[in-house]
Amino acid sequence: MMRARTGAGLGLWLAPVLLAATILIGTAVGETPLTLSTVFRTLANHFWQADYPVDAIDAGIVWSYRFPRAIVAACCGAGLALTGVVLQALLRNPLADPYLMGLSAGASTGAVLVAVAGVGGGAVSMSMGALTGALLAFGCVVALAHAASGAAGGGRATQAAAAMILAGIAGSQMFNALTAFTIARSANAEQARGIMFWMMGNLSGIRWEDVAPCAAVSLAGGALCLWHRRGLDAFTFGTHGAASLGINVPVLRGSLIAATAIMVGVLVSKVGAIGFVGLVVPHAMRFLVGARHDRLVPASALAGAVFLVAADVISRILVAGQVLPIGVVTALVGAPAFALVLLRGART
Amino acid sequence: MKNTLIAGILLAAAALPLHAQDTDYPLNLVNCGVDLTFAAPPESAVTIGQAATEILYALGLAPKVSGTAAWFTPVLPEYAEVDARIERLADNDPGFESVVAKKPGLVAAQYEWHVGPTGSVGTRGMFHDLGIPTYVLPADCDTKDNRTGGDGTRTGAFQPAAIYKGIRELAAIFDVGPAGERLVKELQATESAAIGKAAALDLPEGLSAVFWFSSPEVESDPYVAGRLGAPGYMMSKLGIENVIASDEEWPTVGWESIARSDPDIIVVAYMDRRRYPADDVDRKLDFLRTDPVASRMTAVRNGRIVQMDAHAMSATMRSIRGLAALSDALSRMTFE
Repeated sequence: MMRARTGAGLGLWLAPVLLAATILIGTAVGETPLTLSTVFRTLANHFWQADYPVDAIDAGIVWSYRFPRAIVAACCGAGLALTGVVLQALLRNPLADPYLMGLSAGASTGAVLVAVAGVGGGAVSMSMGALTGALLAFGCVVALAHAASGAAGGGRATQAAAAMILAGIAGSQMFNALTAFTIARSANAEQARGIMFWMMGNLSGIRWEDVAPCAAVSLAGGALCLWHRRGLDAFTFGTHGAASLGINVPVLRGSLIAATAIMVGVLVSKVGAIGFVGLVVPHAMRFLVGARHDRLVPASALAGAVFLVAADVISRILVAGQVLPIGVVTALVGAPAFALVLLRGART
Repeated sequence: MKNTLIAGILLAAAALPLHAQDTDYPLNLVNCGVDLTFAAPPESAVTIGQAATEILYALGLAPKVSGTAAWFTPVLPEYAEVDARIERLADNDPGFESVVAKKPGLVAAQYEWHVGPTGSVGTRGMFHDLGIPTYVLPADCDTKDNRTGGDGTRTGAFQPAAIYKGIRELAAIFDVGPAGERLVKELQATESAAIGKAAALDLPEGLSAVFWFSSPEVESDPYVAGRLGAPGYMMSKLGIENVIASDEEWPTVGWESIARSDPDIIVVAYMDRRRYPADDVDRKLDFLRTDPVASRMTAVRNGRIVQMDAHAMSATMRSIRGLAALSDALSRMTFE
């Protein structure tokens, strides 16, 4: 008990330090070399009006490009990890993540329709297309799951969870097919390349105006998860068990899934469909801090944030002179890590 | 004055009647690594790619064009009338069967990724099996490897000689050699005049530029011209250094790198296509003027931004006009 408290206390201190250090590294590393001194001076000038002399373009790169990019990467990592925590708890399925719910597939379809098919005639951005697609896909999946569980006799908790997963798979397949159809129909080499980058995640266009929506949904999502930590714990025993513990199952499930949809929709619209974070991070954290959501929620949020900032840094330095889609890195790093967690979990 | 005189002489020479050889059939040529034989001039043609279409129009062969596809911008104004009478099979990739259904005597393509080893419309073999010869503009395969990079990778610098070769070969295939030679001379005269005009400006040493085609999102990494494509040719001819060192046709390079290289001139593409927000030249200009980093670049601060037809930035007949447009723009700039 004492050790756990000490560990929690240490984590309380370590977490913000680790996050700040990661964001600082994310700001210092980029396409072009900048000294740490330039980074510190620029940040000091903005935060404390220190008035250090810094080259205007270098200062702009640090403050306007890299720093907001690192913050948004952290917010997205935290947010996507939280969606994995929520979906895995609610659906009692270890494979549940935004991909399974069709949200990422819907977002991709929306973005591709804008970029390739020219929906919106240039007035609608790929981000807006992605947001609309994600929410539409979510609506389709929920409606299908609701109809399926109703048709199957309705109300049975396990049936409802299974129906949701199957509806998610169906929705994902349908939206992936729509994306593939649109690309095959009219994309040229330039568009296919742009879309590939977008579909696998790309933070290159991130600016300060993207920070507020990403931070808002991640913080609100984290707060909501913490608020409902006992409810999420209760879902471990199934919906009947949760109901017997006094949880209003339909309301809690509905509100958390809606929050998940909004989080994924907003985050994916900003950075593209980055996979693996929602799946891997909650598993890794469950292994490290246990299944109780009072620890799992903050630990997953922090780990997701650090993971995605680190992945973004790696995506910039892995191949000299070329930026890789961040989804490539999350999968390359995440898949072996996930396998390791699985193997260690099986042994213990 | 001297350069104007030279340009005048060249233009006058271009206007003289030419006596290019009539084609002796059978005509044998090697096109992008494929052996072709023509027993007689084709009765009709389908073009896939705007550059191929416009060359045939410029050669006076519009009556033989039974269908066109893959358009990027509106046709050149001088061909608007003839183009209006020709069926457009598709704005982008046409279906293989829609091309074959026209029973063309030739399929003339601009890009190998439309008609080539892995052509999205069809491979050359697929057309040849049906007795339909295909011709790909040499600008897309001479000194270019289309197996690598999103839009291919140049193995050597693009030169307008590839354009002239395409014009001459198409003219020979259709037995309109004099028309081909006249068109080549006109383009060569425009090229020489543009180069002469820029040389007379006594531009400062080490002048640098970047060509911005478009971007998936306005703020994201833009597609910019590599050093060996048509923009690279324009820059080398006018004594300008490309800040982008890549051999790819249109590499994706971050604003961070572009801003650090701080070009003296920025050339932005205008086009009618509206698939990406940055297709709109006004959105590009707005970004350059408001982005906290891009707005600090020398080119932006000094208003040295040139707008250019997007199609001129590809290796096409329009590249020569692009060269002239850039030369004109340079003559209106000041460099301290």
